[in-house]
Amino acid sequence: MTNGDTTEPLLAAHQLVKAHGRTPALRGASVELRAGEILAVTGASGSGKSTLLHCLAGIVRPDGGSVTYAGQRLDRLPEKRLSELRRTDFGVVFQFGQLIPELTALDNVALPLMLAGAGRAEARARAAEWLERFGVLGQEDLRPGEMSGGQAQRAALARALVTGPKAVFADEPTGALDSLAGEQVMTALAHTAREAGTAVLLVTHDAQVAAYADREIQLRDGVVAPAEVTA
Amino acid sequence: MSTVSSPAARSSVRSDARLARELLRGSDRREWWRIGLTAAGAALATGFALAAVVLASLRGGHDFSVGHGLLDAPGTRAGVVSGLLLLLVPVLGFLGQCARIGAVHRDRRLAGLRLAGATPWQVRRIAALETGLACLLGSAVTTVFSVLLLLRLWSRPSGAAWAGVALVAVGVPVLGALAGVLALRRVVASPLGRVRRVRPESGRGPRLLFLGALPVVAVTGTLAVAGTGTGSGGRDHWQGPLAVFGLVIAVGAGAVWLAGATARFVGGLLAVRARSAATLIAAARLYDDPWAPARTHAAVLLVTVTGTVFLCVRHALLTELRAMEHPAADMSYYTTGLDLTGAAILVALAITLSGLAVGTAESLATRRRTLAAQAAAGVPRTVLNRALLLETALPLAPALLLAGAGGLAVGTWYSALTGDASLPWAALLVAPGVYASCLLAAATALPLLSRSVRPGELRYA
Repeated sequence: MTNGDTTEPLLAAHQLVKAHGRTPALRGASVELRAGEILAVTGASGSGKSTLLHCLAGIVRPDGGSVTYAGQRLDRLPEKRLSELRRTDFGVVFQFGQLIPELTALDNVALPLMLAGAGRAEARARAAEWLERFGVLGQEDLRPGEMSGGQAQRAALARALVTGPKAVFADEPTGALDSLAGEQVMTALAHTAREAGTAVLLVTHDAQVAAYADREIQLRDGVVAPAEVTA
Repeated sequence: MSTVSSPAARSSVRSDARLARELLRGSDRREWWRIGLTAAGAALATGFALAAVVLASLRGGHDFSVGHGLLDAPGTRAGVVSGLLLLLVPVLGFLGQCARIGAVHRDRRLAGLRLAGATPWQVRRIAALETGLACLLGSAVTTVFSVLLLLRLWSRPSGAAWAGVALVAVGVPVLGALAGVLALRRVVASPLGRVRRVRPESGRGPRLLFLGALPVVAVTGTLAVAGTGTGSGGRDHWQGPLAVFGLVIAVGAGAVWLAGATARFVGGLLAVRARSAATLIAAARLYDDPWAPARTHAAVLLVTVTGTVFLCVRHALLTELRAMEHPAADMSYYTTGLDLTGAAILVALAITLSGLAVGTAESLATRRRTLAAQAAAGVPRTVLNRALLLETALPLAPALLLAGAGGLAVGTWYSALTGDASLPWAALLVAPGVYASCLLAAATALPLLSRSVRPGELRYA
C-alpha cells in the first residue's frame, strides 16, 4: 500500500490531543490506517507513540480531536461497546504482560474465543491451529513464564489474531526480545496479517522492525512529523 | 570489642534508617497502606498480649468491678487468658497478610539495592527497620493507652505485671522486624529476587509443620494426662501448656494445609473443565498459587469450626443451667463468660475478614499490569470481577462445608455428653454466614479492580 491509496481508511484519527496529567503526549496528531495495511509509528521516547496507539485502539479517550472506525466515532462510544470492539474487531500486543501468567499458552489463546461464546473444546482446537501457525505448537501446555520471550510473544500474537480482527495494535512487540527472536515475531506478524488482510498499527523505535511496514510515520513531540517516509 | 556499639556500626544503622525513610517517601500509596495496616495489626496484637500478660501476672483471688466476676478467680481468669492468646492467632494472620501488601514491588526495590551493591545484611536491616518501626508505632500507642487503663483499674500493679508489659511492648516490634526479614529471604539470597515463578509451590512448609507438631501434641498430651492420673501435682506443669501450644500449631498448620490443598484441588479440577472465561481464569490462578490465600482461608475455617462448636456448647450449657434448680452462681456469671467468648469469636471473624479483604486487594495490586492488559484486549470487566470473586468462592465452598460439618460433629458429641441431643439451628447457619461474609470481604476489592484496569496501568512494569 502506498501514500497515493484513495480507499476509505479503516481507522482515522484527526487532530488528537491527549495529556497525562500536566504532561502533553499528543498535540494534534492525525493519522489514517487502511484495511490490510501495516503502518509503523516511530519516534523517540516520549514522543507520544504509545498514547496514539491507545487512542486509536479505544483504550484511552483523547482529550480532543476524533477517532473514526468504520464510519463511527470511536471516541464517543461507551466503554462497554469499546471493550466489545477490542474483543471482536481489534487485537492488541504489548511488549509484555498481555498473557495471563497462570494460564497455559493454549488457554491464553483460547480465552478470546471463549469470551466470544465459543465452547471450551472448540476454542482450544482453534487456538491450537493458531499456535501451530506461529510455530509454538509443542509448547501449548507451558505457561508464559516457562516459555522463551520470543515464544511467549508469538503466543501473544496468536491470541491477538485468533478472533480474526480487522486491526491489530502492536506496541513495541519486539522491545523485550533479542534480534533473532524479534525477527521471528515480526516475520510471523507481517506474514499472517497480510495473509488475513488484517491492518496493523505497529509502534516501534527500531528501524529494523519498522522496515516490515508498508508505510511509516514519525511522531515528534506529539505530532506527526511533516516528512513521511515510504518504505 | 563490640561491633554493635561502635561508631561505624551506629552510623551504618543511621544511614540504613535514612535510606529506608527515603525509599518509603518515594514509594507509592500501597507502601503507606502496608505501614498503616501493619501498625494497626501490631496495635491489636499488643492490646491482646498486654491484657493476657497482666491477667496472667495476677495471683489468687481478686475483686474486679468488670467482667461479672470472671476475672476474680484464678480458674476462670486462666480461661480468659487462653482466649486472649488464641485471639492473637487471627491477628498474626492479619499481620502476615499486611506484610504481603506491595511485597512484589518491595522485593524488586530491595533487589535493586542488592544490585546496586548493598550487602544481604544491609538489605535485611532496611527491611527490619521498615516493618519494625511500623510495629513499634502500633505497639507504642497501645502500650500508652493500656498503661493508663491499667493504672486506673489497678492502683499498684505488681512487678510481674510491669515486666510483662515491657516484654510485650518490646517483643511485638522485635517479632515484626524478624518477620519482615524472614519474608525477604529470596531477595537476600539473590540480587535478582523472585523474577518469575514457573511452577506451583508445593506447600511443603505447612505440611511439615503439621506433621512435626503432631508428635509434640501426642507426647506432651500423654504426659499431661499421665501426670494428672499419678497426681504429680504442680511439678510437671509444663506438659499441659506445651500440649496446647503444639495443638494450636498443629491445628493452624493443618488448616493452612487443608485450605491450600483444597484450593489446589479445586483449581486443578476446574482449570481443565471450565466452560466460562471467568472460571478458567480463577481456577488457573488457584492451581498456580493455592498457598497465597491459604493462611487467610485457614483462619476462616478455624473461625467457622470454633463458631459452630461454640453455638452448640452454648446451647447445651444454657439448657443444662436452666434445668438446674439452684445453680452454683448467678446466671449472669455464666452468660457473661459465654457472651464474651461469642464476642471474641466475632472479633476473630472480623480480623479474619479484614485479612481476606487485604489479601484480595494485594493480589490485585500485584497483577495490575496484567489486568490492565486484559481490559485493553477487550476482556470485559464483569469477567474480571467474577474471576476475582470466584477465587474466593471456589476453594472456600468445599472447605467451609467440611469445617461446618466438623464443627457440628464436635458440637453434637458435646451435646450427647451433657445428655442433650438437640442442636441449635443457628449452628447450621455459621458456615453459610461466614461464606457470605467472605464473599462480601472479597467484593470490597472490586473498586480497586476498576482502578487496576485503567489504561494508565499499562505504563508500569
